[in-house]
Amino acid sequence: MSNDLSRLEGSPKKQSVYYGWYVVAALFFASFLAIGSRQGFGVFVKTWEEDWGVSTASISVAAAIGWLMNGFSQPIVGFLTDKYGGRPVLVISLAVMSVATIAVALISNVFGLIVLYGFVISFASGGISPATTGVVIARWFDRKRGTAMSVLVAGGSAGGLIIVPFLSYVLVEYGWQVAWIITGSLALGLGIPLLLWVVRSKPSDMGLFVDGEEPSINEAGEAKVIVRAVGPDFVDKWKEALGTKPLWQLSFGYFVCGITTASISVHFVRWAISEDITTGTAALAFGLLSAINAVGVLVAGMLSDRLQRKNLLGAVYLVRALAFVSLIIVPGDKAIWAFAVIGGMSWLATVPLTASLTADVYGVRNLGTLFGFSNMAHQIGGAGAVLLFGWAFTRLGSYDIAFAVGAATLLAAGIVSLSIREKKHSVRYVQVAPESGAVDDVSSSVKGRE
Amino acid sequence: MPRFPGILAHHSEPIDPTLWEWLSVKIDHILGLSPGVLILLLGAVIVSFPIVVMVLVSRRRGGLDSE
Repeated sequence: MSNDLSRLEGSPKKQSVYYGWYVVAALFFASFLAIGSRQGFGVFVKTWEEDWGVSTASISVAAAIGWLMNGFSQPIVGFLTDKYGGRPVLVISLAVMSVATIAVALISNVFGLIVLYGFVISFASGGISPATTGVVIARWFDRKRGTAMSVLVAGGSAGGLIIVPFLSYVLVEYGWQVAWIITGSLALGLGIPLLLWVVRSKPSDMGLFVDGEEPSINEAGEAKVIVRAVGPDFVDKWKEALGTKPLWQLSFGYFVCGITTASISVHFVRWAISEDITTGTAALAFGLLSAINAVGVLVAGMLSDRLQRKNLLGAVYLVRALAFVSLIIVPGDKAIWAFAVIGGMSWLATVPLTASLTADVYGVRNLGTLFGFSNMAHQIGGAGAVLLFGWAFTRLGSYDIAFAVGAATLLAAGIVSLSIREKKHSVRYVQVAPESGAVDDVSSSVKGRE
Repeated sequence: MPRFPGILAHHSEPIDPTLWEWLSVKIDHILGLSPGVLILLLGAVIVSFPIVVMVLVSRRRGGLDSE
C-alpha cells in the first residue's frame, strides 16, 4: 500500500497563498514553453520547403516520428518521475529540449530535423507533460487537485496561443534560425532557472504539507498528527494497477480522447475546405474554440473538486460526442460554429479529470507511470485515427462516416467513464488504515520547520 | 495524406501550417500591428511571467525567513 497523501487531524490553519500555487505557476510556464515551441514547428514548414528544396511529406516524417516519440516517452519519464521526483526530470528534460532546440538552427536538411525534432526534442518534451507535471501537482494538492491540474493544462494551451504567433513574427523579421535560437534560449535562460528556483517535487521538501495545511499543536506544544489518507486501490508497484479495472476504464477513455482530438487536429483544414468554409470563418471559429476551451478546462477542474470526477469525465466525452454529431447533421458554416461551441467545452477537460482520478484511485507514488501509460494510449489512438480518417475521406470523399465512428467511440468512452465506481475506488470517498511510513514522512516535515 | 496535427491536440503536436496561415491573416487583419511591435508585445508577456513568479517567490521566502 502506498501512503503518499496526507490529511491532518485537528483544525488546520490556512496560509494566505499556498506555496503549491507558485509551483503551479512555474510548471504552467514550463508547459507553456514546451508545448508552444513544439506547436510552433508547423510555422516553419513552408520556409524549410523553400530553403531545403524538400516536400511537406519529407518534413512530415519528422513530425510523425515526433508524435510517436512523445507518446512512448510518457511512461518512461513518468516512471523516472515516480522514482527520482518531478523536479530533476523536469529540469533535465527542459535542458535537453533547450539545447536541441538551439541546435536546430544549425541544421540544413530533413535528416537533422528528424534526429533533433523527431527524436530528441519530442522525447524530452514528454518530460514536461502531464505525466511529470501532473505528478508534481498531485503531490502538492489533494483537495484542490482538479483545479490545480486544470490551471496547468490551460498553461499548455496558452503556450500555443502566444508562442506560435511569436515565433511566426520572429520568422518573418529575422529568419527561422533566430526563431529556434530564441525559443531554446527562453527555455534555458528563464524556464530552467524558474524550475530550479520555485519547483520542489513534493511539499515535504520544503517542510510544508499537502494543500498548505498545518498540524494543530496540542497543549504540550507537539504537532498533532497524523492521519494519512490511503485509498483501497493504492499501489506500491505500478504493475499491480494493471490488474484493476479503473486503470483500463480511464485508459480506454483517454484512447478515445486521442482518436477524436488527433483526427480533428489533423483533418480540420481539409474538412473545412471540403465543406466550402472560408478561411476567415475557420480561423474565427478556431479562435472561439480556443477561448471556450480555456474556460471549459478551468470550470471542469474546479467542479471536479466538488463533484465525482467520473461523472464530469463521462459528461465531457458525451458532450464531445455531440460536437461530432453536429459536424454531420448541421449544414455548412453553422457546423463549424456548433463544433467550436460544443467541442470547445470538452476539448482539454479530459486531461485534469483523468490525471486527478488516476491519482485519487492509485495514489501518487506510481502516478507518473500510470498516467504515462494512459497518455501513451492517447497518442496511439490518435496516430491510428489520423490514418483511418484520412483513408475514409480518400475512399468516401466525405468525413461523415469517420465523424460518426468518432461519435460512437465517444459515446462508449462516456458510458465507460460513468461506469467507474469512484465511490468504491477513490481515496476521496474510501480511506483505509495507513502504514507507519507515512508518520515518518510527515514528522520530518514538522521538524524541518522548527 | 494528412500533414500536421494542429493546435487542437492535447499534447504538443505542431500546428497545421495552413491553419496557421489562415489564423495569421485574421490576426493581422484584426490587430493591424507590425511584426516588430507584435514581437515586442508577445516577447514582453513571455519574459515577464517567469520574472514575476520568481520575484513573488523570493518575497515569500524572504517573509518566511524573517518570521
